[in-house]
Amino acid sequence: MNFGNLKSKSKENILIRNGCIINPKAQEKYKADILVLDGIIKEIKKNITCESADNIQEINAEGLYVCPGFVDMHVHLREPGNEEEEDIESGAKSALRGGITSMACMPNTLPVIDSCYLVEYIKMKAREIDYNVYPVAAITKSLKGEELSEIGLLVNSGAVAFSDDGKGVQNSRLMYEAMRYGKQFDALFILHEEDDNFSNGGIVNEGYYSAILGLEGISNLSEDLMVQRDIMLSKISGARIHITHVSSARSVELIYGAKADGVNITCDTACEYLFFNDSILTNYDTNFKIKPPIRSESDRLAIVEGLRNGTIDAIASDHAPHLLLEKNKSFKEASFGSVGLETLFKASLTKLFYEENLSLEKIVALISLNPAKILNIEGGELKTGSIANISVVDIESENIYSKDSIISKSKNSSFIGQKLNGEIMYTIVNGKSGFSNS
Amino acid sequence: MNKKKDILSLDEFGVEQISELLVQTDSFAEILKRDVKKVPALRGKTIINLFFEYSTRTKVSFELAAKRLSADLINFNASSSSLNKGESEIDTIQTINSMKNDLIIIRHGDSGYINYFAKNVAVPIVNAGDGKHEHPTQALLDLYTIYKNFESLTGLKIAIVGDILNSRVARSNIKLFGKMGMDVTVVAPSMLMPENFAGFNTKFANNIDEVIGDIDVLYMLRMQFERQERKYYPSLKEYNRFLSLNLARFNSMKKNSIVMHPGPVNRGIEISGEVMDIKISNTDKIKINTQVSNGVAVRMALLYYALS
Ligand SMILES: [Zn+2]
Ligand SMILES: [Zn+2]
Repeated sequence: MNFGNLKSKSKENILIRNGCIINPKAQEKYKADILVLDGIIKEIKKNITCESADNIQEINAEGLYVCPGFVDMHVHLREPGNEEEEDIESGAKSALRGGITSMACMPNTLPVIDSCYLVEYIKMKAREIDYNVYPVAAITKSLKGEELSEIGLLVNSGAVAFSDDGKGVQNSRLMYEAMRYGKQFDALFILHEEDDNFSNGGIVNEGYYSAILGLEGISNLSEDLMVQRDIMLSKISGARIHITHVSSARSVELIYGAKADGVNITCDTACEYLFFNDSILTNYDTNFKIKPPIRSESDRLAIVEGLRNGTIDAIASDHAPHLLLEKNKSFKEASFGSVGLETLFKASLTKLFYEENLSLEKIVALISLNPAKILNIEGGELKTGSIANISVVDIESENIYSKDSIISKSKNSSFIGQKLNGEIMYTIVNGKSGFSNS
Repeated sequence: MNKKKDILSLDEFGVEQISELLVQTDSFAEILKRDVKKVPALRGKTIINLFFEYSTRTKVSFELAAKRLSADLINFNASSSSLNKGESEIDTIQTINSMKNDLIIIRHGDSGYINYFAKNVAVPIVNAGDGKHEHPTQALLDLYTIYKNFESLTGLKIAIVGDILNSRVARSNIKLFGKMGMDVTVVAPSMLMPENFAGFNTKFANNIDEVIGDIDVLYMLRMQFERQERKYYPSLKEYNRFLSLNLARFNSMKKNSIVMHPGPVNRGIEISGEVMDIKISNTDKIKINTQVSNGVAVRMALLYYALS
């Protein structure tokens, strides 16, 4: 297993032979070779012969699937401020291990990404390692929910979207003004939906398991009420909204209705919500303490159905690194969040492909093309002339996911001990080998 | 090697095993009636009493139980500031783990944390109450108290009244009483009940008058207005009107019925002063003091079980 030299600027020549290409846009797959010259996809066709360039690195992808590099639209990189948990470089490595070549990072850092210089800082750090990081800026200054950030200036400096992730904007009027103003710049709002009055003090899903385990519950209403509010605000303001980490059945239903009603809305869910239900809480493993909480089985089934019927547009990791120190505590005291970059593909494949019979093309769309389109960024397609961002995956392998395999600085994965299908074999980022699993 | 015998809840105990424990408790209760209240059953064993949450009554009860069995008991002061809570607790457990001991009794304010400790120490753990989760020794002493008062447990009608949401006693008792074939009704207003009450498999009433004339056991829970994390219950006046045990209600109870409470009673809240005043004279009906003395015998039985 090795990682490419991220800091090197030189692009590579790579020929991927005999793989099965996944085209999420056309929802098709076919056998072909891909030729990358000087970092650019030159050709996609069968039996490419190439005499022109030497020093071509050949990858034998027989039996493997060649996908557009995955796009994770919800990641916490902890830089600046909490670099002992993760930084942009370690996060990028973790992402490459997961086949992810682009990611959007959330603004709840120290300081909060609410000013242009911080957006530029993130972009500069990403350029240094030639990795695609798209900063999301805060909707409100310092995430306090009191005053709007400089939305216009932040758009100009390259903020890909706006979010008060981790909290949510409690003040409805302020959210409405943010949307009306954001609309002027065609800003995208990524909304963490949580009504504090329903969630304060809560740590797990309000349900049968919270009742018997004596853990304070967070009702689905916490999410559902805010989803309903923001649908209404978006309908009136016309702003583009994206509901992130949808976890509840009623929220899926509300978003389905809003889409039918022409509201400018998209949404994602995170792997935990399609993979687990709250019965896993019985061993009090704090890696399952996340927000929104892992919901009931009926919610999980609604999430899967939402992915199948297209109500849910994308799957994100909500990669939230925490030190062991923050998780080796009682369930009540432990921090919320789990890492997820390295399991985004595997967890999705395991549940959706092997158990729910979604097609591989569909799953790849959910973690590449769709989030790229929502963020309005490059990626999600393999086409000639574009810079090579490619993930080569094996879908046959099956392993028990282990803590030791985690590349991220933080090891708080909810998938430790789970049987996961699939493996990332190669990740090519910006025309260079980023990760190779051999 | 045998699996160590943690007592984190009574879920793992079957009906027969519980019945055996009740019979064994009888023999320990006999010992407590003797002049020399001590047997050498656990001589040479070291037990640690580790309380992360303040409680004199339970701590003392365990201490007596251990000493009556001739075990050496070490009380471990584990108070920690909320600032370094998680870290200092892990340190404490590691310290204790490195000391010679045969069993650890733990109380902790957070649900489920004792399960985590149990996984990380080699000796058996006895749960002396964890957050809002379980209080197995209390449940067994309550069951024993009922068992001593009625010919059969099956079909006995019991009402558990009060703050179900925040009570580990309620959670443990509902499960244990149900398992033993008792007919359990939970009496609580909506905001003092978990939203998903169906999981408990009990009957439900909103107000004490619906059940008072029909039950064999009235089990009153502590109501701590000041400790509610989410303060939604309106007032003490409202509580007294719908949920408290007053003299009129006490007098309307069935002839052989009993009143129980895990203690300490908040006079004038769960139980009126008038009723508390007849507690001394009417020990046939009000079993609160009996529960306390039964607690020692039950804990002797459980410590003996865990170490044999
Ligand atoms: Zn969030
Ligand atoms: Zn997040």
